[in-house]
This record gives sequence, structure tokens and C-alpha cells, in this order.
Amino acid sequence: MEEKLRNIFATALDIPAEKVVDDLEFNSIPEWDSIGHLALIAALDEAFGIMMETEDVIDLSSFKKAKEILAKYGVEA
Amino acid sequence: MSFWLLQHDQGRPALIDETSGNRFSYGELAACVQQFARQWPSSEGKKLGFILCRNEWEPIVAYLASLQAGHAVSLLSDSIHPDLLQVLLEQYKPDWIFAPNEIGLDATYERANLSERYTMWNRLSSEQSKTGIHEQLAVLLSTSGTTGSPKLVRLSHRNIQANAESIAQYLGLTPLERPITTLPMQYSYGLSVINSHLQAGATLLLTNHSVTNKQFWDFFRAHEATSLAGVPFIYQLFERLRLQNLDLPSLRTLTQAGGRLDTRLVKHFHQLAREKQWRFFVMYGQTEATARMSYVPYEQLDGKEDSIGMAIPQGKLSIDEATGELIYHGPNVMMGYANNRDDLQKADELHGVLHTGDLAKQDADGYFYITGRLKRFIKLFGLRINLDEVERALESTVPVQVVCVGNDQKLVIVLEDEQYSQQVKQAAIEMFQLHASGIQVQVVPSIIRTPAGKVDYPKMAERVM
Repeated sequence: MEEKLRNIFATALDIPAEKVVDDLEFNSIPEWDSIGHLALIAALDEAFGIMMETEDVIDLSSFKKAKEILAKYGVEA
Repeated sequence: MSFWLLQHDQGRPALIDETSGNRFSYGELAACVQQFARQWPSSEGKKLGFILCRNEWEPIVAYLASLQAGHAVSLLSDSIHPDLLQVLLEQYKPDWIFAPNEIGLDATYERANLSERYTMWNRLSSEQSKTGIHEQLAVLLSTSGTTGSPKLVRLSHRNIQANAESIAQYLGLTPLERPITTLPMQYSYGLSVINSHLQAGATLLLTNHSVTNKQFWDFFRAHEATSLAGVPFIYQLFERLRLQNLDLPSLRTLTQAGGRLDTRLVKHFHQLAREKQWRFFVMYGQTEATARMSYVPYEQLDGKEDSIGMAIPQGKLSIDEATGELIYHGPNVMMGYANNRDDLQKADELHGVLHTGDLAKQDADGYFYITGRLKRFIKLFGLRINLDEVERALESTVPVQVVCVGNDQKLVIVLEDEQYSQQVKQAAIEMFQLHASGIQVQVVPSIIRTPAGKVDYPKMAERVM
């Protein structure tokens, strides 16, 4: 499951999967800026058939945080 | 009265800087600006400055000091590509550069002053340009992030003042407004928010955070921001964030410019604005007109969701009968373009008349509608991109023909040879500072041509989009 999430990150942000680690953070790489963030959120919503709440979209500021937030939606990562 | 003179109630708050935590009243800001301007004795004449901008108080002080001193100043991104900065330095030979401390310059410049976050650099006297600068020239802005293109828009003191007045008037700005920065200050729309609110004596909330960042909304709430400005991409984010669910009781006004917002989204935000009693302004402009040319009065938006509205106060819109092109007349029309230092001597070349390059029609109520473009431009993430220019730039990086088509959602790069796909995509990202999600590379067996042998762009677009 973590592997699936890693691949979604890598595809949405257009970065190699090895770069997707727990402390990968929003704005820490040029690819994960606000434009990348929108692409990422759209990809996560679609892949897991969910619609994240406003506060979660804003809080989703690292790969680690993404796993925690997605767990709330019943997505085990 | 000019907005850069800051002649408002001296005790009123003017700036709140999120990054440093500093706050300035109009009196304190005016004192800072005067102090900053003191480094330029008027006997030394008119100078050209570059400011590498962030939404922080120091670049604002440098900008206002430059206007007060009568200098010409170019506002550039602090993350400007080093190659582009180099080209601009060679072409324009600025006399001073104000930049974040981490940016270094070559030996043509010496450090004149160093503060906590910013450095003032002066060009060595032996290297100074003798070329004069036109007395009316105030601001130079870039229209795109194109590498290698030193083209800048020349704006006069009158241009920026007139546009600030027009905007303050139609938005009904008062000293109680507290706009929060969502756009960079070197971008004409971002700068227009700053200028028009200083004109009104309002309070600017400066932040570098994006709207997807929690700190942005914390800052918004802590200082009770009253308005948000957005390009279409920011409205896509607002839709996905569900702006209506964020607890923002101080929010009164939304403005939109920087490219056409999808009619579906205009309707969506129009509906939300009615429910929340926000004022939602759909607007139209270009850097060549300082920023703004038209707007839809928020209470008239019903049924006009795909319109650019009517001309701003002091302006006039018309349609060229022969070509269908939208023509704007007004005191905010630029003096012209510049490509190098010599061009800064030039007087006003446009005389208040701008050919927008957009095709338009007008309805019975006098509202204008954009129907297309004369030239091949797209607007990606609020950035205006000339497809022909992208093609030429990409062709300089690969040994094969490149064809670019696109719309305001994506740039499609078409190649006949797959082996260069990654290379052109990477070049487009780097040279034009675009995000990968807005770029697609498509490989076709052969590029479609007209009988005359030219690339058939409408057919290519149909094929790959």
C-alpha cells in the first residue's frame, strides 16, 4: 500500500519514486509547489475514490502526513 | 496625489510582514522609504535599479524609494533563472540591484549595504552606463519567464498611478481593506494589488506562502484579511480546497484576473459569493496596460459569466472593425517595450492606445467578450506563453523539429522522434519555469502541414489535444 502511495506521489509530482520518502515535504522541492499539490490531491482523490476535506488538503504537507491523513479515510498505507 | 508618497493618516497600519513579523504604520513606512532613498543624491541623476522580489517589506520599501527618487526600476522574481538574470544584466546594466542576501553577483557589482535579509549592490563606477533614461520611465516588468528574452514592458509614473486610481475606484477600496498577497509582487496583477491598496491607504498583508499552505490561512485569520486575488489556477485550488468551508469571517472580496477563468468556475464562485455575501470581480488586463483594462461589476455578473465586462474608469474599449481585435485606450497603456538599455531613452510610443492581440465581440448591454487570439498565445498557470517562442527555444535544445500547441490548461509539445521526449519536456520546465503537470509531450509519425509546407496548427491541435 505504501508502494502504491509512493507511485501516486511520483507520478503526480513527476519525480523518481526513490525521492518519495517520509520527510519529503511540500515546497522542499520545485516539483511539489502549489501546482504540484493540486495535481497530487486530484491524483489521491481519484486513486482512492475519496474527496479529502479542506483542512486535510492543507495539512497534507509531507509524505508521512499523507499516510496519516489517508488512514482517516480508511486507506491503509 | 501619487500612491508612493504614502500621504495617509500616519498612524494607520500600512504593512504586516508575515516572514519577519514586522509591522509598519504609514508614518513608519514613509520614514523607511525616505531613509532608503537618501543613498541616492539627486545630483547623481536618474538611475536604473533591479529588485529581486519576495512578498516582504524590504522590496516594497526599495520599490517605493525608487519611485520617490524618480529612478526606473525593474521588478524580477527572486527565483529568476541565473541565465536570464545574466542576460538582463548584460542588456540593461542596472546601476543598482536590491536582492536577497543569498544571491551573489559578479565583480561588476560591489556590496553597498547589507541588512538582515537583503543586500544593496552598486555597479562599479568604471562599469556604469552613460546611456540616459527617459524622465517618465518608472517601472519595467517582464511579461513571461522566457529564458533568453530580455523584453520588458516600459511603464511610466503616470501609467502606474492612473491604474492604481482606476482599480481603487471600481473596487471601492477604503483604508479598512486588508488584502493578503497571493501573487508575487513582480507580476503585474500582484503589483496592482499593492499599488491600488497603497493608493487607498489600506493595510497590505505580505506573505510568501501559497494558498495550499496552512501558515497562509493562519496569517489570513490572525490579521483578518478582507480580500483574495487569484489567477485561474488559484481558483481551481479554491474550488478543490472548498474555500466556503474555511472559516474566514473577515473575507469580503474575491478578484480574478490573469487569464480567462472557465465559465463553470465563474458560475461556481458567483453562487458562493451570493451565499457568503462576498463581492466577486471577474477582470481582464495585460502587463502592457500596467495591469487592468476591464472588469465586470460584481452585482452584474448574472448572465455575464463569460464576459470581461466593461472598461475601467479612465479607459475605453473598442473593436477594430477590420480585424475584430480588441483595442484599449487609457492612461495606463505602456510607453512601449524595451530589449536593452538604449531602449530606456525612448519616449512613449503607444500614445495611450493598446492593440491587445485578443479578438472580441460586444453585446447589446455594452459588455465585451474575448473570442480568440490574433497570435498564438496560451496562458498556463497565469503565465503568458507565446507558443512560437517556446518552439524556437526548444528547437535550440534538440536537433529535430518541435511543434507546440496548447490551451489555457496545458502545453502540448509535439515531436516526430520519441528519443527527445524527456529532453524537451525538461527544457520546457527549466526554460519557462513551468510545472510538469501542465506539459504533455506527444510523438506523432509526421507533423501535419499545409499545402504550402507550413505547420498546420489547427489540424495539429485537433489531432493531439
